Amino acid sequence: MSRPRYTKVWRDLRRAGGRIVLMTTAVAVSLIAVGAMLTARTVATREAAAEYAATRPASATLDVAGGVGRALLDQVRARPGIADAAARQTVTARVRVGDAWRKMLLFVVDADDPLRIARFDVERGAWPPPADGIMLERSALAVLGGGDAVNVTASNGRTGRFAVTGVVHDAALAPASQERTGYGYLTPAGLARLGLTPEPDRLKLVVAGDQSTVDARARETAEWLTAGGHTVHGVSAPPIGRHPHQSQVDSVTLLFLGFAAAALLLAAVVVATTLGGMLAQQTRQIGVLKTLGATTAQILGTYLLLVLAVGAAALAMAAAPSVLAGVALTGLLSDMLNLDIADTSVPGWVFAALAAAGLGTPLLVALVPLTRAARTTVRAALDHRGVASGTAKRPIRVPGGNRLLALAVGNALRRRGRLVLTVALLTAGGALFTGGLNTANAWETWVHDGMARRAYDAEIVLARSSPADRVTGPLRGVAGVTSVEPLDARPAVPVGGGRVEVARTYPDGGHGALSLVALPAGSRMTDFEVLRGRALREGDRGVTVLNQGAATRFGDPAPGERVTLRVEGKDVTLQVVGVVAEVGGPAAAYTPADAAAAVASAVRLVYGDPGTLGRAEQALAAAGIPVQTVIPTEELRTAVDGHVLILIRTLVVLAGLMALVGALGLASAMGIAVTERTREFGVMQTIGATARTVRLTLILEGLAIGLAGSLLALIAGVPLAAYVGDLLGVLSFGLPLPLDLSLTGMAGWTALGLAAAAAATSVAARRASRLTVKDTLTYE
Amino acid sequence: MSTEVIDVQGAAKSYRTPAGEFPALRGVDLSVAPGEFVAVTGRSGSGKSTLLNLLAGIDRPTSGRIRVAGTEVHTLPESRLSSWRGRNVGMVFQFFQLLPTLTVAENVMLPMDFCATRPPRERRPRAMELLDLVGIADHADKMPSALSGGQQQRAAIARALANDPPVLLADEPTGNLDSATTDVILSMFTARAAAGTAIVMVTHERDLSGWAHRQVHLADGRVVAEAAR
Repeated sequence: MSRPRYTKVWRDLRRAGGRIVLMTTAVAVSLIAVGAMLTARTVATREAAAEYAATRPASATLDVAGGVGRALLDQVRARPGIADAAARQTVTARVRVGDAWRKMLLFVVDADDPLRIARFDVERGAWPPPADGIMLERSALAVLGGGDAVNVTASNGRTGRFAVTGVVHDAALAPASQERTGYGYLTPAGLARLGLTPEPDRLKLVVAGDQSTVDARARETAEWLTAGGHTVHGVSAPPIGRHPHQSQVDSVTLLFLGFAAAALLLAAVVVATTLGGMLAQQTRQIGVLKTLGATTAQILGTYLLLVLAVGAAALAMAAAPSVLAGVALTGLLSDMLNLDIADTSVPGWVFAALAAAGLGTPLLVALVPLTRAARTTVRAALDHRGVASGTAKRPIRVPGGNRLLALAVGNALRRRGRLVLTVALLTAGGALFTGGLNTANAWETWVHDGMARRAYDAEIVLARSSPADRVTGPLRGVAGVTSVEPLDARPAVPVGGGRVEVARTYPDGGHGALSLVALPAGSRMTDFEVLRGRALREGDRGVTVLNQGAATRFGDPAPGERVTLRVEGKDVTLQVVGVVAEVGGPAAAYTPADAAAAVASAVRLVYGDPGTLGRAEQALAAAGIPVQTVIPTEELRTAVDGHVLILIRTLVVLAGLMALVGALGLASAMGIAVTERTREFGVMQTIGATARTVRLTLILEGLAIGLAGSLLALIAGVPLAAYVGDLLGVLSFGLPLPLDLSLTGMAGWTALGLAAAAAATSVAARRASRLTVKDTLTYE
Repeated sequence: MSTEVIDVQGAAKSYRTPAGEFPALRGVDLSVAPGEFVAVTGRSGSGKSTLLNLLAGIDRPTSGRIRVAGTEVHTLPESRLSSWRGRNVGMVFQFFQLLPTLTVAENVMLPMDFCATRPPRERRPRAMELLDLVGIADHADKMPSALSGGQQQRAAIARALANDPPVLLADEPTGNLDSATTDVILSMFTARAAAGTAIVMVTHERDLSGWAHRQVHLADGRVVAEAAR
């Protein structure tokens, strides 16, 4: 080769094989994380948008009392700004699965509905089903226990057996397993078999334009209907083109991408530290190169080429696994979104971004130490005599006076710049690790504590409201029931400036919903944490306590302010007296029930024996009170966990990667330390140090660094956990997670940090201890 | 106009040390003509290596003037020094300083690569020519570690001559060699001087009368004796 400088780069790479492998592995591991997150985010977002759009979700849905007939529907379709309209019905029922009840949403669609709006894909069977048939949403199959038929119990108490004639996929719905709800599709004829009157009360509108246009057209239609003598209970327009879980997935994948980028930055620091060590060894060579005519730019270019080679090798190692991991993660996300990933192709820009990150980040981070090294003057380079004795003015003393330990600590302090970088690497890796585990722990604890604030075992939602005494009376006599409390929950929408605010509720009725809940005075079934103001008290009138979800919907009012809700067509104005934190519930405004005319739409029970629930339902049935659905508190917990468990686990995996990169950094630093001090080991051995002493000194040095990094990581992990907890908590519950440190995780990290330090050092220490005195003293 | 390829006038160099200012050179004058072989001798600390460093542009004088190959070296910015050095000065070190990961021939080709003094296809033949000149062409494709000390120093000399510089500076080039090899190296310098290259060799050996045209003896940073052959 006529360009020996490049030959030098190649041979230097081969000569420093171990370190190159360390650097490349660190960069490759982090690139896999970056690529996986980028792939998952890109593919999941693209597919979610495409598939959700393909369902042609309604831009807005109006809840019209009494239903919308064909003639009225035609008039709506003819209104300006309305591109299309359909009238559907959604009925809440329940299904017996084993010993438990599951909530069931029945979507009633006319047999001749052209399905231009709120479409679903038929995956098995044919639409429409016969009157005694039902098609199930595919994610509901597991929730409903499988089987060829389902026994659906309507709110009137009547049960109908429906043959499962097919399976549909409705990408606009959140997965049934997460919502713990079954989804069924049937015709009005099928609904009639349950003794219910087909009444298409959901007027679905398609409006072209942005969210404000949709809101305006929906309001105008509602006002037009009201003027025509119809009652519109609510107007809902979910965010355009966004799946119910889209925001959650977007934000969390962005958070993960941030973690992965942090891993890449750590890996780049590993590269810079390792290269710094290699350059320190090559300082004399740099001086020689300059005497031969090499300019600073040529030397810098040569070493940048080396970094580029590391980045390119890491990129080659990471490209395929990162895409595979990304596609696998997309699969998990698609389960969270109830989507089919039709197209897993990764756009070219993802590869370009990965390449830019893989090649660019190490280059940028290494630029400073490389430039510094390349600018070394010939004089300084030729005078270089290896590792300096350091700037310590006083001898190092350690507790117990152990000289070996003192030597190890002193050695660790000799290269302060590198020590700071190594400890910073371990700290950052460990902080992300403990931060991830602390967040997971905070999640667990908060959900557990949040659920513990619900002192009831199950909530029975009634098919229709009844006087509270009529409901609680029969239940108090049921064996095993230790406590009963009625509540009256009604769908509500905020009213602002005299106009009904458009709700952002999705068709499943859960995501984005708001309820006004009347609780009996002195209710003891819930004890939500008070965030602002106070809880409800006996004797309160005309006041409300909002949970955090409702507070957000009303623009975070302060205690003392008034809010107005429209409930069943009537406006209710209440004074806010407090805001509480509620885990696992939709947005709710709690208000004291009118003791004289208390009504129950649901009842909460406390019992010891799970069999009690069945007896309670029988008692209600015997009293002629139909049940719509039953929600055991444990089910609620499962639903809450289902929303973020995968995300928490992914966070822990990412945290593990950070720890790995940190350990690789330590291994690299120790390798450099050994190489730099090769001569010293020879000197030590000539004055009587055994190979074991040399090994032990290095291991102690590594452990000292590992301990420092681990302890600092524990400290740095706390604010990180607070930040991530804030983000996850707000996404999931509308509130930051409290800081709840995982002592097991922190102890685990300390042990892991020390073990990694010992392992990383022992390889270098073994190599050092095997050198003969002659090897070391002749080492140049 | 001076015909000297090296012209040093009143060169002084002081270093700051914890004990205070240390004058390594105190107003040295030195002129070397093309084809002249000058040996700079003196004890350790006499200032001879400092003088060599000033000539190579590795150090800058505290005062005085250093003119080498027609350039006021001390006025060159650091960014231009390397290329200037690569084209005008060949350096030979006591410990050879061959790059350990390059073969002998590659080491010799390196200055041509950095300074682009020859087209790529001519570099290897030029390296072989120089290695042949110093008598180690057979070892061209060996790594430096496979060569004896004398062979490594010959390779270093070949490398120093790669860009055909007008000045060759050698810092204790025989300090690590036995007497027979020392003679070989010195005879090479003599031959090179005869070919027109100005050579300045720093050495602590006093008796080089059989080799150098002129011997300059330094003590305490001053020229205390000068003798021509």
